[in-house]
Amino acid sequence: MDAPISYPKSDYIETDTGNKVSRRATISGPQNIILGGKTVISNGAIIRGDLKRTGPGHAVVISLGRYCLVGEGCVMRPPYKTYRGNFNYYPMKIGDHVHIGAGSVVEAATIGNHVEVGKNCVIGKFTIIKDCAKIADNTIIPPNTVIPALALFSGSPGRFIEDLPESTQEMVESRTKSYYTRFQPLDR
Amino acid sequence: MAPSIDYHCPCLASSPAPPPPHLPSSSYSFHPLHELFFCEECDAVRCNRCVSVEVSGYYCPNCLFEVPSASVRAEKNRCARNCFMCPNCRNTLSVVPSDPPDMDDGRGSTAALNAVGEPPFFLYCNHCRWDSAEVDITFEKPTGLAAQLQKHEDSAPDSLEFERLKEHFEPFLRASSSSALAGPTPASHSHHAHVNPITAAASSALARDIPGVAKYAPHPRGRRDKGPRDEMSEYRSRVEVGGTSAMGEADVDFMRRIEEESEVAAVEQRWANSWATSLRTSDLKPLRIPLHSKKSKRCPTCRHILIKPEQKAQSVRFKIKLVAANYLPSMTVALPRPLDIVRRGARPPADDPSGTPGLHAGSTYPFQIALTNPLYDPIQVRLSVQRQIPPAVSAAAAAAATEGGATEKSRRPPFAVSLPSSAFPIAAFAEAWEYEDDEDMFGVDGDEFGLESRDGRETQGKAKSKTVGVLEKRANVTIVGGEVVIGKDARGEVKFNMLVSYTYRSDDALPEDEVRGTPSRTSKAPEMKTFSFSTAVNLGPVVPREENRMDTD
Ligand SMILES: [Zn+2]
Ligand SMILES: [Zn+2]
Ligand SMILES: [Zn+2]
Ligand SMILES: [Zn+2]
Repeated sequence: MDAPISYPKSDYIETDTGNKVSRRATISGPQNIILGGKTVISNGAIIRGDLKRTGPGHAVVISLGRYCLVGEGCVMRPPYKTYRGNFNYYPMKIGDHVHIGAGSVVEAATIGNHVEVGKNCVIGKFTIIKDCAKIADNTIIPPNTVIPALALFSGSPGRFIEDLPESTQEMVESRTKSYYTRFQPLDR
Repeated sequence: MAPSIDYHCPCLASSPAPPPPHLPSSSYSFHPLHELFFCEECDAVRCNRCVSVEVSGYYCPNCLFEVPSASVRAEKNRCARNCFMCPNCRNTLSVVPSDPPDMDDGRGSTAALNAVGEPPFFLYCNHCRWDSAEVDITFEKPTGLAAQLQKHEDSAPDSLEFERLKEHFEPFLRASSSSALAGPTPASHSHHAHVNPITAAASSALARDIPGVAKYAPHPRGRRDKGPRDEMSEYRSRVEVGGTSAMGEADVDFMRRIEEESEVAAVEQRWANSWATSLRTSDLKPLRIPLHSKKSKRCPTCRHILIKPEQKAQSVRFKIKLVAANYLPSMTVALPRPLDIVRRGARPPADDPSGTPGLHAGSTYPFQIALTNPLYDPIQVRLSVQRQIPPAVSAAAAAAATEGGATEKSRRPPFAVSLPSSAFPIAAFAEAWEYEDDEDMFGVDGDEFGLESRDGRETQGKAKSKTVGVLEKRANVTIVGGEVVIGKDARGEVKFNMLVSYTYRSDDALPEDEVRGTPSRTSKAPEMKTFSFSTAVNLGPVVPREENRMDTD
């Protein structure tokens, strides 16, 4: 009963590991970005892999796990701070089965597995989101916030609302897998 | 709201009949399947409202420190490390040194992570820019702040009063908990054991002080043991109630002189306090962050554990997790594109971004229910509409229901629901069914609905129309069709109770592996069991007639 989510085949590039990246997404510094496989980067998303620590060579700036979704128009930007007088960017690590809703801006340090971030959220710098947490639509998470496992946060600033059900992991996993399965090109 | 099916938990009610689904109060009795538990011992569904909950560990939601239960009480259930909440906006506060923080990003949050600057230190909110220096709270060292603040807390009048209350009730609590231990045998005291002594003490005190308030008794048939409530002496508070009139006048005076509303602390900023506090924003104090807990859950009847989390605070795994989704078939309901709407050229429900299909009064709509079997054995399922009011018209088909309470009868004319009348099978769950990019997973489209369905004709039989019956079977999912006829003057939402009965092979004797591996039913005649549960199906709001006409213009 779940309707397919169709896209014109030419709009997305599919990698060997099943990642689907929109041609209309802005991927800066792709050599510094890791996608775990079966992860979808939607139209208009901006991923700033170019904002890396000062120094030569390349380092992982943003990594996403398997079955992730970066929604339309999202901005993924590594967090930064000035430490002992030196300005620097710090890497952003995102686990498996993480969906980020359309129009959200993410500057988190780490996001665990099975996390849902709603639409139009702002996830402030160095935020840590633990496994199976959920951020409701339109939530503003200020910098340095810690969001515990299985917690629902909502509001501006985002606050703890309630504990999520014990079966959240299974629910999120089946949703992210189903999304990927339904996300298919129109012309095969 | 998209169409939905919620599952009923009777919550130990004597009658298993579900409440009428359209009453607002009924929402407490119906839950999404994934929020429910299942007690194998009682063979019953349990929910968060009826399970008994025990704390299995405490942790700070900000620093994630796991606090030993021994220190939780002394630290008043709040983080005793360096975690504080902004009294203005409830964001987490940062410790910042006095030298001006780098404003390189205009938000001043950069110094927070490494407070190595000059004392005095203060707490700063990087969301609303509140800082503790505003209320004269500063620190010489950036560590051990909670201990410094707790000193203030402990000398506050509300804290002193609470200590006094505790002292007053302590002997009573000790007496009642020891009598509970010495009392009845474990088997018979199951219901009484979890009336915790604090509830009992509070209820006794209330019953004595307020005439007409009955003593809290969760199970009236329990023994009326004469509690030691009469032996309790009267409590004398530190502060005389009503003696605050001077403060009241000061408040009035303050309110007369305010120039900006922001000078007055909002109710939300004050009401978490157990004491009447100052009205002034300038008096708000940083709050130590309340601890969170991990919880175990038990069946309220047999006390078996249904949920037992792993010890580690941030682990999302469970040592025991008996959830209803592993026992009952999961169901989703959808409204495919109805033919009459297609003809009128209105937007099909599936394309409506709001997910509101809009059922037009006076029309007939097919709907589909997809049932997924979580068991390693096939099941037989039977669906029926549960009527809320006695069937006045006995001639009505068994599967038809009339809706609407007595008071609303005139305004809410009935709608009638048809469901497949015979039982239908759902294949067993097998790990191999799980996913992988299979196009067939998509199910039936609106257009090929019903008529062309391969499996459809077998079971349609005497069903009212071709839309009612089994539409599709694949893997451990069976999709059945139903139909709803909406009265000409219908309003409100199309909601009805549906009884689901499924028959499964009871495999008590077989180890799980064997059941999983072989579908053989040869060795022994399997014992068949039937389990029934109620649901509330919500197909969505009815679009009344008037709007209907406007739509088509
Ligand atoms: Zn219940
Ligand atoms: Zn803490
Ligand atoms: Zn604040
Ligand atoms: Zn039980």
